Amino acid sequence: MTRLGRLVGVLVLLGVGLVAAVTIAVFLGSARLSPATVLQVLTGGASAGSTESVVILSLRLPRIAAAMLAGGALAVAGVGFQGLTRNPLAEPSVLGVSSGAAFGVVIAQLMGSTGAVVDALKVTAFGFGGALVAGAAVYLIASVHGGFPIQTLLLSGVIVGIFFASAVTVLTSLVDINRLGGIIHWLLGNIAPLPGPTLLLFAALAVLGFGLIVSQARELNVLALGEEAALQLGVNTERLKLQVFVAAALLTASVVAFAGPIGFVGLIVPHILRLLLGPDNRFLVPTAMVGGGIFLLLADTVARNIVAPAELSVGVITALFGAPFFVYLLRTRHRGVL
Amino acid sequence: MQGGIGGHVGAPHVPGRVRALTAVVLGAALVLASVAPAPGLTVVDMLGREVTLPALPRRIVSLVPSATELIFALGGEERLVGRTDYCDYPPAASSKPSVGGMLAPNLETMVVLKPDLVIATTSGNREETFTKLTQLGIPVYAIHAARVAEVMDVAARLGTLTGRPAAVTTFVAGLERRLRAVADAVRPYRRPRVLYVLWPEPLIVPARDALVTELIGLAGGESLTAGERGDYPRFSIEAAVARAPEVIVLARHGSGSGPMSRDKWDRLTSLPAVKAGRIHAVDGNLMHRYGPRMVDGVESLARVIHPEAFR
Repeated sequence: MTRLGRLVGVLVLLGVGLVAAVTIAVFLGSARLSPATVLQVLTGGASAGSTESVVILSLRLPRIAAAMLAGGALAVAGVGFQGLTRNPLAEPSVLGVSSGAAFGVVIAQLMGSTGAVVDALKVTAFGFGGALVAGAAVYLIASVHGGFPIQTLLLSGVIVGIFFASAVTVLTSLVDINRLGGIIHWLLGNIAPLPGPTLLLFAALAVLGFGLIVSQARELNVLALGEEAALQLGVNTERLKLQVFVAAALLTASVVAFAGPIGFVGLIVPHILRLLLGPDNRFLVPTAMVGGGIFLLLADTVARNIVAPAELSVGVITALFGAPFFVYLLRTRHRGVL
Repeated sequence: MQGGIGGHVGAPHVPGRVRALTAVVLGAALVLASVAPAPGLTVVDMLGREVTLPALPRRIVSLVPSATELIFALGGEERLVGRTDYCDYPPAASSKPSVGGMLAPNLETMVVLKPDLVIATTSGNREETFTKLTQLGIPVYAIHAARVAEVMDVAARLGTLTGRPAAVTTFVAGLERRLRAVADAVRPYRRPRVLYVLWPEPLIVPARDALVTELIGLAGGESLTAGERGDYPRFSIEAAVARAPEVIVLARHGSGSGPMSRDKWDRLTSLPAVKAGRIHAVDGNLMHRYGPRMVDGVESLARVIHPEAFR
């Protein structure tokens, strides 16, 4: 198949997948509304305050939007970190960046909140700070002669991740037992139906991060040839690396702030897309945004329904899939280095 | 309606004071009860928030096991349409549909139950649940109790909300009578040093702001950790051992489970409590919930702290 043909194929696949995932998610839930009722609400046929419309419009749809934004942001952050380190195993949680963001977010949460959008912004800002510190630490530890040997990168990610996870544990052992449960719940990674203004803020941050990375997609392709080659081809590699790094950290931080640290989405989704599309970042970044959204939405729909009326944490589900997938990648794609 | 949540944090073992306070609370409840049936009532919850209701609630969802127990004890269960997985008492509570756990109750399930009031707590529920329910237009009434007097206050408030103010009087009188009986029984005896173990690993104990601390005092004991800050802090086992407990009380969590990590304490043979064989297990649900069974908690504590008083 030609490259264009593949691209069209993948776009069709994503389009169908998106529609299917949203449909499943909007029709399934513990409220057990009949498909006819759901359709009636969606077509505006139900009265505004009715139970059905509250369930669909105030609970399911905002949650679907939050899941898609979080998934898309994580997958794009994954592509960004992978391009930056020229390493397909790089990903926010593997690199310890999620843990850094979580540390920042917990600090902000302990400072108290009022539930307003200003709080959401504050929490994200702290998460962003944590993500930058953790990312920079991994970068400095792992960089050997301008490159990132895979073992060093993974080990530094693990170490930085452990460090920040321990820092979070220190904070949680100091908090009042009544708040502990809430923090642990959040640390497991959970998608919630976010209120409108918060959802808009999340969307704005996701679009900003996406824009910063997609605008450097061509340069990221060149960087894949090596830093020296990229420099000779006229790419401002320092600026490129900084921009992609900051954007990926921002995406990670916003997801951690609004949904908690959810792992492995940035690993699984870009990898599958790379198998279908090849390594061209100009295609990978936009398709990762959509593909990540579909993936996390499906995972969250499982989390929401499998033990209803109780719920699982979506972070647990992505990790249950992601960890074996990581091992598979390590054993098949990176045999040489082990 | 302000029976008061702060302010009257008195000495933990003065039943007379409790009685005086509950009289105030009851008075407030009765006054409120006389105005409650008016359409469109505004009540103030225990966070001091005004909650406006079109009428007395008829469809209450309780996210607090203690509140569920109190509502049943006051005979207001007809108005209860939902509970959490942890609301396991009285047994009849399990006939009400559950909305999931306390931390992450299922919002969809709750909305479907069409509640006109949700009872929640600042200790055990999450703020996000609170915010989301308010956004959905479902009134939330917050309760919390860390003192016996506050338990009476919660009972009075729930009695008012469920239209059972008269039941509150009987209920509170019954609790007081039993508390007085315990106080009378243990009064002649010296107060032994009690170490209450809420959780063994890590060691979690009740401190200044925990209801259990007051219950131990009412049962004629002196909690070794009563002076610590907060409600249920983590505590060093060394510090616990250094305070030489004469009685060790281990909380059981859930019926059927044995005493929690008893052997860990049995090994500390130099402790007065171990020498005297005074390690006892009690049902944690009687101690940590601020429901009607709190008095059963005081009675069972008194029996292990002062077996000589109940021969």
